[in-house]
Amino acid sequence: MSLLNNAAIRSKTGFWPNNRGTIIGVAVLAVIIAIVPFTASSSMMNIAVFSMIFALPAIGLSLLMGLAGQVSLGQAAFFAIGAYTHAILLQKFEQPALVAAVGGVVAAMLAALLVGLPMLRLRGHYLALATLGLGFIVMIAVREWDFTGRTTGIYGYGRPEVFGIPIDNNGLFFWFVAPFVLIGLVLALNLTRSRAGRALSSVNDSELAAESLGVNTYALRVKVFTLSAGFAGLGGVFYAYQVQIVSPQVAEFHVSVELLLMVVIGGLGSVWGAIAGAFIVELLSEGLRELIPAIIPGATGEVQLIGYGLVLILVIILLPGGLYQVVKTAWAAIRRRMGKRADAASRPVPDGTADAGAGDVPTRAFGGLPGESAASAGTEGLDDTTDAAASAPRIPTVSTPIAAGEPILEVTGLTKRYGGVVAVDDVSFTVPAGRIMGLIGPNGAGKTTCFNMITGAIAPTSGTVRFLGNEIQGRKPHVGAEAGLTRTFQNLQVFSSTDVVGNVYMGRYRKGRAGILRGMLGLQGREQYTHEEVARDILDSMRLGDVAGLAAGDLPFGRQRMMEVCRALAAEPALLLLDEPMAGLSGHERELLATLLRALRDAGLTIVLVEHDVAQVMALADTVAVLDDGVLIAHGDPESVRNDPAVIVAYLGTDAEEAEAELKELEEQS
Amino acid sequence: MTDFLQLTVAGLSQGSVYALLAVGLIATYTVRHVVNIAQGDYATLAGLGSISLVTAGLPLPVAILIALVSVTLASVLIERLVIARVKNLTTLVSIILTLGVSTLLQAIMLLIWGAEGRRLPAFPGNDLTLGGVSIRSQELWMLGALVVVGGGVLLFYEKTRWGKALRASAEQPVAARIVGISPAVASVIAFAIAGFVGATAGVVSSPIYLSIWSGGLLLGLKGFVAAVLGGLVSFRAAIVGALLLGIIESYVAGYVASGWKDAVAFFILIIVLIIRPAGLVLRPNAVRV
Repeated sequence: MSLLNNAAIRSKTGFWPNNRGTIIGVAVLAVIIAIVPFTASSSMMNIAVFSMIFALPAIGLSLLMGLAGQVSLGQAAFFAIGAYTHAILLQKFEQPALVAAVGGVVAAMLAALLVGLPMLRLRGHYLALATLGLGFIVMIAVREWDFTGRTTGIYGYGRPEVFGIPIDNNGLFFWFVAPFVLIGLVLALNLTRSRAGRALSSVNDSELAAESLGVNTYALRVKVFTLSAGFAGLGGVFYAYQVQIVSPQVAEFHVSVELLLMVVIGGLGSVWGAIAGAFIVELLSEGLRELIPAIIPGATGEVQLIGYGLVLILVIILLPGGLYQVVKTAWAAIRRRMGKRADAASRPVPDGTADAGAGDVPTRAFGGLPGESAASAGTEGLDDTTDAAASAPRIPTVSTPIAAGEPILEVTGLTKRYGGVVAVDDVSFTVPAGRIMGLIGPNGAGKTTCFNMITGAIAPTSGTVRFLGNEIQGRKPHVGAEAGLTRTFQNLQVFSSTDVVGNVYMGRYRKGRAGILRGMLGLQGREQYTHEEVARDILDSMRLGDVAGLAAGDLPFGRQRMMEVCRALAAEPALLLLDEPMAGLSGHERELLATLLRALRDAGLTIVLVEHDVAQVMALADTVAVLDDGVLIAHGDPESVRNDPAVIVAYLGTDAEEAEAELKELEEQS
Repeated sequence: MTDFLQLTVAGLSQGSVYALLAVGLIATYTVRHVVNIAQGDYATLAGLGSISLVTAGLPLPVAILIALVSVTLASVLIERLVIARVKNLTTLVSIILTLGVSTLLQAIMLLIWGAEGRRLPAFPGNDLTLGGVSIRSQELWMLGALVVVGGGVLLFYEKTRWGKALRASAEQPVAARIVGISPAVASVIAFAIAGFVGATAGVVSSPIYLSIWSGGLLLGLKGFVAAVLGGLVSFRAAIVGALLLGIIESYVAGYVASGWKDAVAFFILIIVLIIRPAGLVLRPNAVRV
């Protein structure tokens, strides 16, 4: 095992994917592709050719659905744009073959970029229906436009030779198109594992949390949409080449349904599944076209649709994970039977419990990475400032863009109205760098609303939020996050599709660089590896190292909360906002967290925390702000706030003396 | 001017079909948060079914009645056999799922009735001519069906206790239960209504617009465009939007080119979704975190 994997690690700056299973899979597929033309019957060959052509748009769609979490019901539109552009460039403009082919792909991507820019602001089902509309518009346009040959379409162009070889039979064409599918597959697989791919799958778990770590969801989605159209366009180019006539049929809605079916059968988001799905759907289509007229005499036309409809319904009801899920389950069962206890955690951990989660490889964020110690770059950020007390955690790096005491966050006149209700009313305060500020108040006082406006989760009705001198109110959360403002959540926002280290790794997002292109080419292994090491070190320092390989959703509540803190710290923030970080923690965990927060403050980090636990805040914070009914009623050092009569009345009822007694009691308890 | 008015009349009658389908879509969306792509196929199914019954010798009213009841039952069956089977059905998954239902229904219709479009005999009545504009009696039947059936559903949902409870069941299942409606029953009722409304649209429009196996998808989508104008919740806005959509399509067909008619709805859809995804009548909802 180690040989192959180490080799993969060393070649991680190369093109090929860095996972043994993938390499074997690609190799097997390549062998199958090489021998199919020698063995398949002519009708089977036809199916094989079209499943290769349609695998390309299906791969694109599976990236869009799996990564971007968006469903397109108009993928045929981009397929058609690629096919028409290719055919028109060949037939009307007599362009060289390569120009025509590249033109087809570029046209599809340009069209996607243009419509994607406005449409990808839409959510879920609205986008699906908008793309459906787009599909119809393209179909009607090519049918009604003289330039595209109306209902007859474009024909009468030859097949350009490839390197001097005329592609004049199905076998040669199959060998011509298959390498593109293989390369497309590898690029797509690389992308799903890349920084951008991980960011997008985090968005599917929790868009808010991902954006709060600096992920610009919208920009990534536009890019994936455009990329997905590029795959569709390439499929269209090959279609036009092979069929030698492009008519409005290629843009018809049932082509989009066919592509959707391929992805659903294969398993949402599984690139391998898309290729398998393409083959199955083509096989189903051919089979039904022969079978149904045999059963029902006189049946003509699109009779294969009955199979599409049935299969689509059955897969969603009975097998929502598609083939991918079947294979995954079967594989896990085989491994269990063979008693092969996974390759355990890739890093030795103190108590060795990590392999509990190692069986389900696909959910592990970094499956197959060996335990080579990190390059020095990985640990440089982790000054071991552990003090004598063994219980104190080591401190991750924080960024200190300005001197302690200077204002890092200035909130001025912040107001939020919901209809007639004023949730937050004209709140102003300044947080100096290197301090801990506690924001307290009774239930419904507007603490979390205030918090959400500062972090960009909601836009204020009026007022400004300045972070490091820049106004960020009303901007998306990633704007503040990129500048070093990060947060945790009262209602945990865990990325449940990945493991614990995968969650903390996402915290490193803003420290990374690699984009979609580098991700697809696999040119970011070193960067990812470094960030993974940092993430593991942070987990170790917070005593979560032993669960690094567990699915994040399986952790107990308190540890999930600690994991969120780790995730936020991994971003090396300048300002950390914690929304009720103590809630749900055990006494021991609270102590650990309080110690950590003090140490972070001493290292220069600014912290704002919203808390219910008044005693904790009073003990921890340098300054305390009190909200009541959306109004800031006190702001100062803990001592003066504690004795402020307005606070006592607001916080603990109308009777000031009784309130004071209760407050004392609370403190004594802690 | 006569042309213009004539096109307006044609647009209104076509718009009444979209309006009925929009009412059906909203009926299920408000209760179940399902976007039912198969809504338009109810119309073709009822149209083709009643044509066969008339051909078999049944009187027109009987044939229509049987078709309406059967399609209503079919819709309930679809709800029980397909929709209710999926746990945690999100709106997005419901689109893919009902797309499967729609494809299946279309294929079944193709196998039973073939690829040719068919026409139901016109309903009884005399055509009118008002100031040079001719109005076919069938067009009055279509508008009448919208007023009676569409208006009836609107009143049921907005005015009756049951209707209000149905609408509440999507947002507050517990509250709806207290009134005495379980979410399952609410869902069945909503799909029955959607089936009935869709079937009505199908039989009243068949004498003019034909019934063809593949026609339902486009009809349903145009109903959806109208429903989006009402933010998928307002019956009134959707009905007005549907009539406007019919009229605009009619003008495009009359003054531009009939082939482009079908593209109009989708241009409107995309523009409205981008500018005001919450519909034209509602304020965009505040996002709560």
